Amino acid sequence: MQDIFNEITQDFRYDHELNGCLNCGICTATCPSAHFYDYSPREIVQLLWTENVEQVYNAMQEKIWACAQCMTCAARCPFRNSPGGLVMIMREVAIKHGFESAKQVLRPFGRVMLKLITTGNQLSPDMIQPDAFPDWGPNIQKVEGDLQTLRNAIPVKTLQTVETAWEVSLKTSVEMYTIWEMTGVLSSLETMDENLYDVIEDFIDEKREDYEDWLEEQEED
Amino acid sequence: MADQNTPDQGGIAGHGSFFQPTDLSPQEAQAATEWVRKEVDKRRYQNEERVDDIREHMWELEKDGEIIVHRIKDEHEPIDVETLYGWNKRIPTKQLWHHKSCGQCGNIPGYPASLLWLMNNLGMQPGKDYLDETDQTSCTAWNYHGSGIGNVESLAAVFLRNFHQAYVSGKQHGYDDGHFFPLVHCGTSFGNYKEIRKYLIESAELREKVTKILDKLGRTVDGKLVIPEEVVHYSEWVHVMRNRIASELQTIDMSNIRVTMHVACHYYKMIHEDAVYDPNVLGGNRTAIGTAMAQALGAQVIDYSTWYDCCGFGFRHIISEREFTRSFTIDRKIKVAQEEAQADVMLGNDTGCITTMDKNQWIGKAHNQPYQVPIMAEVQLAALACGADPFKIVQLQWHASPVEELVEKMGISWADAKANFEAYLKEVEKGNIEYLYNPELAYGGTN
Ligand code: SF4
Ligand code: SF4
Repeated sequence: MQDIFNEITQDFRYDHELNGCLNCGICTATCPSAHFYDYSPREIVQLLWTENVEQVYNAMQEKIWACAQCMTCAARCPFRNSPGGLVMIMREVAIKHGFESAKQVLRPFGRVMLKLITTGNQLSPDMIQPDAFPDWGPNIQKVEGDLQTLRNAIPVKTLQTVETAWEVSLKTSVEMYTIWEMTGVLSSLETMDENLYDVIEDFIDEKREDYEDWLEEQEED
Repeated sequence: MADQNTPDQGGIAGHGSFFQPTDLSPQEAQAATEWVRKEVDKRRYQNEERVDDIREHMWELEKDGEIIVHRIKDEHEPIDVETLYGWNKRIPTKQLWHHKSCGQCGNIPGYPASLLWLMNNLGMQPGKDYLDETDQTSCTAWNYHGSGIGNVESLAAVFLRNFHQAYVSGKQHGYDDGHFFPLVHCGTSFGNYKEIRKYLIESAELREKVTKILDKLGRTVDGKLVIPEEVVHYSEWVHVMRNRIASELQTIDMSNIRVTMHVACHYYKMIHEDAVYDPNVLGGNRTAIGTAMAQALGAQVIDYSTWYDCCGFGFRHIISEREFTRSFTIDRKIKVAQEEAQADVMLGNDTGCITTMDKNQWIGKAHNQPYQVPIMAEVQLAALACGADPFKIVQLQWHASPVEELVEKMGISWADAKANFEAYLKEVEKGNIEYLYNPELAYGGTN
């Protein structure tokens, strides 16, 4: 527990994000998550500031996932703290240590993570379909039509795609995978969700092979 | 009520069990709120003591031979603006490398299309004055803020990779390095990149780690990292071009349109010293972008009490905790814009906000909250006011909110535009596709 706490406080961003705390509550007053969850940025800051190791550990189980990362708190705090930034450090540490609670929270986000890690993009056109978002209503779009045709009607060439938000060159994707590997993002993912990791690994391997093939073709030409 | 606030009862939701009510009288509460309004809401425009300006350290690093700064030169025809702390920020107006937003492109493609359309109509030449190419990744900060997967190192490597590409992108079009300057479309990318740049400048350790990665990718110049002089958001470009847009391109009278603005949190709340403020725009109490553009078009800009609130997007929440997202957006934004401001439109400048406020209106009816306000980006409204086609260019067909009413109020026939567009879709099916620029420019020489 102490180790987890130390890991948070030793992060090079920690001293940027926490400069003291008046306990004034301005951060909480303005925090969207505090409206709807049992969550308060002031409480998070106070726990860290008073070095309440046990309660910090407890907050990492669930509370930190309520934060919407809007940084309204950071813009308002008279002490120039960033409660949202501190939450981000705590989330990273929770993930690195494979907290069960983090796994639970992130499970419904899996499909988006798959898209993000493999393509770099988030909600691609093929994901924003009425069946996935029934609460968005029957008129998500105002014109009926085949998705690819509707995308082709956007007068920007790079956007005429369906599976990604814009067309990304193979070389670019492969560079991004190298970054994931070298910075430990893929191993974090493996800790969090092994099945998702396997799917992503296969996808990445396939893209890399495609790129190798393309390079060979270029040499032959 | 009182019982709920005792420590044993768990306190008021969201405030922790040790929360104690202040028991202020209404007058005292009013006085306290006034203090907050004066000292905190108003972001101490011009009164701010000078905090560290990271750009100064950047110049020092460059002098020491550690990094290369991608400079804004005269040929970028920059226009100066003032930021929250009264600092100068130079906004390049041409030779721009469009750094797209995955949310906008996937979800609200009218942003980039409207932006390119405005650039073309201001006489910019694709391939020389701007470039839109496939060699770029998303900033990936959505994943980071949403799931915590990703870390500072990965974000820094992605930032440096993309901005290196922006730096060298002129080469394949016959220009020098640095010809195109990156123009960031996404609010989250903008905030994230500024934050990451700050960390990179401050931490030698982080620089050392990412240099290894960038070297491996072949994305250093003479072994050095390339860092841009400014991180520039597309709304800042619209902001400095607003008077030209209004005087040279505007065709529609906007004086009967009531506009409310929602500026993306990650535009002005992350690294807030860098956001553009103007004492003549809402008294300098609000960041100027978007609002100043609507004013330049002659629309009525209505301030509202929850201006400062976020939209409720929450990165992860919009997907997996939708009750939070839609409750917040209806209660704090859509309802207020409708009831308090009687807005004809709510403008935004980031995908997350627009998606949140646009898509979460329909469900309100199920909860007896039938609030509906059209939502779009300020650049889309600007294009509409300049006569752009609501479907082919502004791409309003992807919006769920009642944008038809606004378009009609501006004197444009929604039905005619829709019929035209449906006819165009038939042409698209046959392969007769229109582009804002030569599509070949999108491919930068690599697959
Ligand atoms: S960043 Fe998190 S803690 Fe801060 S105001 Fe937003 S939701 Fe609340
Ligand atoms: S606004 Fe700042 S000083 Fe006030 S309680 Fe929050 S973190 Fe502490």
